[in-house]
Amino acid sequence: MSTESLALALLIAPLVGSFLALVFFRRKHVIASGIVVASGLVSVIASAMLLFGAGHDVGAITARWFSIGDTPIEFGILLDGRTMIMGAVVALITLCIEVYSLSYMKHDEGRGRFFAFLALFAWSMLSFVYSSSLLQAFIFWELVGLASFFLIGFWYEKPSAVAAAKKAFIMTRIGDVGLFIGLILLFMTTGTLDIPAINTLFAGDGLPEGIAPGRIELIAALLFIGVIGKSAQFPLHTWLPDAMEGPTPVSALLHSATMVAAGVFLVTRFHGLFMNAQQTMEWMLWIAVGTAILSSTMAMVAKDMKRVLAFSSISQLGFMLMGLAAGSLFAGYFHLITHAFFKALLFLCAGAFIHHVGSNDLIAMGRAGAAKQMKLTTVALVIGGSALAGIPFLAGFFSKEQIIGSLPIGAKIGALFAAFLTAYYTFRMIFLIVRPNADSMAVEDEPAHAQHEDGHEHHGPAEPLAMLAPIILLAVGAAGAGYIGNWIGHKLHIEHIEHPSITEMAPAIVIAILGVVFAWLEFGRKGARQTGFVSKIPSMQTLFERRWYLDEIYNVVFVRPVVWFASLCIGAENKGFDNGADAVAHGTYKGGRMVARSHSGRLQFYIGSAIVVVAALALTLGFRNGGGAG
Amino acid sequence: MGDFPILTATLLCPALALLVTLLIPGRNGMAIKAANALCALLSVIFAAMIWVAYDRTVGGYQMLEVVPWVPTFGIDYRVAVDGVSVVLTMLTALVFFTGVLTMWTLETRVKEYFAFMAALVFGVFGVFFSLDIFAFFFFYEVAVLPMYPLIAVWGSTRKTYSAMKLTLYLMLGSALLFPGLIALFVYSGGQTWNLVEIAQSGAFSRETQIFLYPFLYVGFGILAGMFPFHGWSPTGHVAAPTAVSMLHAGVLMKLGAFGIFRIGMTVLPEGAEFWAPTFAVLATIGIVYGAFVAMRQTDFKYVIGFSSVSHMGIVLLGLNVWAMSRSDTAGLDGAVFQMFAHGIMTALFFSAVGFIYDQTHDRDIRHFGGLTSQVPVASSMFIVAALCGMGVPGFASFWAELLVFIAAIETFPVLGIAAIAGLIFTAAYVLRVLGKAMYGPRNPDWENLKDVTLWSVLPRAILVGVLLLFGFYPNLILDMIRSAGGGS
Repeated sequence: MSTESLALALLIAPLVGSFLALVFFRRKHVIASGIVVASGLVSVIASAMLLFGAGHDVGAITARWFSIGDTPIEFGILLDGRTMIMGAVVALITLCIEVYSLSYMKHDEGRGRFFAFLALFAWSMLSFVYSSSLLQAFIFWELVGLASFFLIGFWYEKPSAVAAAKKAFIMTRIGDVGLFIGLILLFMTTGTLDIPAINTLFAGDGLPEGIAPGRIELIAALLFIGVIGKSAQFPLHTWLPDAMEGPTPVSALLHSATMVAAGVFLVTRFHGLFMNAQQTMEWMLWIAVGTAILSSTMAMVAKDMKRVLAFSSISQLGFMLMGLAAGSLFAGYFHLITHAFFKALLFLCAGAFIHHVGSNDLIAMGRAGAAKQMKLTTVALVIGGSALAGIPFLAGFFSKEQIIGSLPIGAKIGALFAAFLTAYYTFRMIFLIVRPNADSMAVEDEPAHAQHEDGHEHHGPAEPLAMLAPIILLAVGAAGAGYIGNWIGHKLHIEHIEHPSITEMAPAIVIAILGVVFAWLEFGRKGARQTGFVSKIPSMQTLFERRWYLDEIYNVVFVRPVVWFASLCIGAENKGFDNGADAVAHGTYKGGRMVARSHSGRLQFYIGSAIVVVAALALTLGFRNGGGAG
Repeated sequence: MGDFPILTATLLCPALALLVTLLIPGRNGMAIKAANALCALLSVIFAAMIWVAYDRTVGGYQMLEVVPWVPTFGIDYRVAVDGVSVVLTMLTALVFFTGVLTMWTLETRVKEYFAFMAALVFGVFGVFFSLDIFAFFFFYEVAVLPMYPLIAVWGSTRKTYSAMKLTLYLMLGSALLFPGLIALFVYSGGQTWNLVEIAQSGAFSRETQIFLYPFLYVGFGILAGMFPFHGWSPTGHVAAPTAVSMLHAGVLMKLGAFGIFRIGMTVLPEGAEFWAPTFAVLATIGIVYGAFVAMRQTDFKYVIGFSSVSHMGIVLLGLNVWAMSRSDTAGLDGAVFQMFAHGIMTALFFSAVGFIYDQTHDRDIRHFGGLTSQVPVASSMFIVAALCGMGVPGFASFWAELLVFIAAIETFPVLGIAAIAGLIFTAAYVLRVLGKAMYGPRNPDWENLKDVTLWSVLPRAILVGVLLLFGFYPNLILDMIRSAGGGS
């Protein structure tokens, strides 16, 4: 098959799958899910054939789609290392999650719709990744947001799910406004939105002629605002923890290869441009470091397994952006890929436990003996968790080392601190599940019960094959993805990858092991109290649990003023415009009535008025004439 | 196509509908509906023929037909179309057709209803075709006047008040327009009402243009829902019956914007340029203000009504941006695209709400919940309209807004940024309605609602299809609009 037809097949399959499932087979669940899984398979095969078969950059396949003023805008499929690797990863992880959902969502009444939206999600994300124009990328960026809106709010009868979906959409849209303005400015500055053209323009050292440094800083900063929203960085990160209101497979997809990955991918896509905006990169670096630490503190005290993972996503996205901001395209991109594997894996494990135990609560999972009943899943959890914690020699270790190795010293200290916290909270999570003990002082928030997220009673095997197979596949990825670094670098055309020496790696290794040991002492060892050191300082515990009160602060600072202003507007509308218009109308009416009254038919009144008017006229004219004569 | 007078033929479709409706006895409602549906379908076909026949490579006014009307005063029946009117003709025909289908269940005074509606559409077509300013104004009034009886007789919620309010507002607009248009005639020598000749007469000094332009802009702008003269529009939308709301927001408001473009900006370019910053500010205020007011409304139709104020603000912003710097056509392209997209979208909105209202006689958002599970297809129509309203890509209005915003940022950066930021509040009010009524816990009162039948889904499906078609491939419509860009 030709490259073009492969690329088209890979993008169109999920769209067709989604359309058929949504419009025709919404109630025929088996057909709907079958179509979607098949379309996912097509994407995986086609993207893999492109990645391994093409072997070299094909460039872009484009067609004129639109024009702005007199400038034609071409849309197309861009095939270079960056898109083909990411595309294959997205397709693979999506397929894993679709297969997993076959079993996970088996009893849900809306699963036809669920699969349709999964395919829509996959289509949007794949199309975003392969976009050859920034405008096209923006379109699919928005559609990724839309698909996640539908999926987060999938159980739409739950008010909390609807609220979470709304929050996700609006918070990311705040970022999108920045991205949108940045896109327009970029177009005005360079006259093109073509990604290869822009990359060529900014490939060399120094700025292209005729472009002011301030302008590039501004554009980069605006694009970065979009990234902050999408990739859930401080201060727009608050939507992501709530987004776990969706079914767990959705979280797995949303946190790994789609949605949040889009933001980081955009930075890798325009890394050349960003590298010309040093000021913005400085900001990016520190926002990323801050976000990584901030979200880690929240993860340390969360009891909901999905929440712990959500906070860890925020922090890992921070790590990716740190690498990119420090100038290493490879480090950021590499971590994006490895993270996709182990985070999807962790969420699928979480889903399996939740499915089995009927509670999101880590402590409840441990006490229910989930680890003993689900041995394979537990092994996978430990692999995924170790990869997240940066334990040698799993996937996350290699990519995180690359990032830390690329950082300047100040940021490096922050990153190491975040890495320590990561190891600590990850193994806290693992030990709480794997090593429950009788001396534990931990309090569970939500007891185990035989009910599933969607409320149905759970029966059947703890580890059905459809759920286990994707978990095993992803576990292999989480264990092994670290060894393909050189190949990725080659595909990205990075000539020389600097592998940190063992002395440079030592601090991060020590830090990670320290974190694990610390977690062991508090949660893992026999007779551990399982409460954590944070609980010794109640105010800090509350601060972390309430997520630094950011939601409350936003509520006071932004939401309430907006609502207040809306009320003001509505007051102006009703009292001002409406009543004003009514008053004018009534006034006219009354005026008319008054004038009408003067038409009384009484001759005396008419004559009297006539005399008054004539006299007034005569006097005025007389004065005028008199003045003229005198 | 030869010499077939296609524009006159299109214009005669609603006239024929009117005539047949008057001839069929009122008790035979089905025949009236069928006749109207046929005439409307015919107008869609003619509109498609115009679309195909229009030569985009040449551009300008085409398919000209001239018949002297009142020669003494230089008034002609002079019709022709450019790319903009081709697009708007298609919009009108589509909304006419789907509007007739939507009112299929009407039982009260069927005959009168369809007669007024046909008259309204007749006027609208006339406005889009006329190149004679007098005829333009004549058709304009024909289109506007049936609104009063349509709302006052078949409406709901404070219908007499709303009908009166609407009429007074629109009369105010006409009161501004009438002297303005007569002034155009007089200043240009008092020989002709021909728009093209008047525009080329060079009779208007800069001062005259600056003096006259606000009469035309505000006069037409009132019908376009221009802030701060928008008050009639949400009230009117709410009170009007479904198909009238569809026509009203879908087509009639476009007449105002079209008038500004066709007469105001064509004849008085310098006046338009002088006033553009002022009116652009008002348009931007309208965009943001409409969104904020919509955020706190509880009636479905009020939300849509204020969303119209907000979306028409985008049209007006685009037009003013174009008036400011005509070398860049993006503003005009976007404005006309938005007229089309908003027309289809609002028609779909009102049609979807009308479907729910017909069964429940309730439009309070708070009284609903989980409609998606109760009437999945009907609510998905509403959701599609809502997504389009939010400017989600894949639907027509995304492109329209994109073009306007790009042009606005180049010409009026601050206004452009404010308008784009308005997207956040648009998302807020749209998602609020979706979250409350379409999602959330279902309201047990409405468990027995019937979902759409195949027949009643047809008009809505057509509208959805159009939104998606132009949403996926905008060039179809953009080429057409662009061919008119140099029309002045």
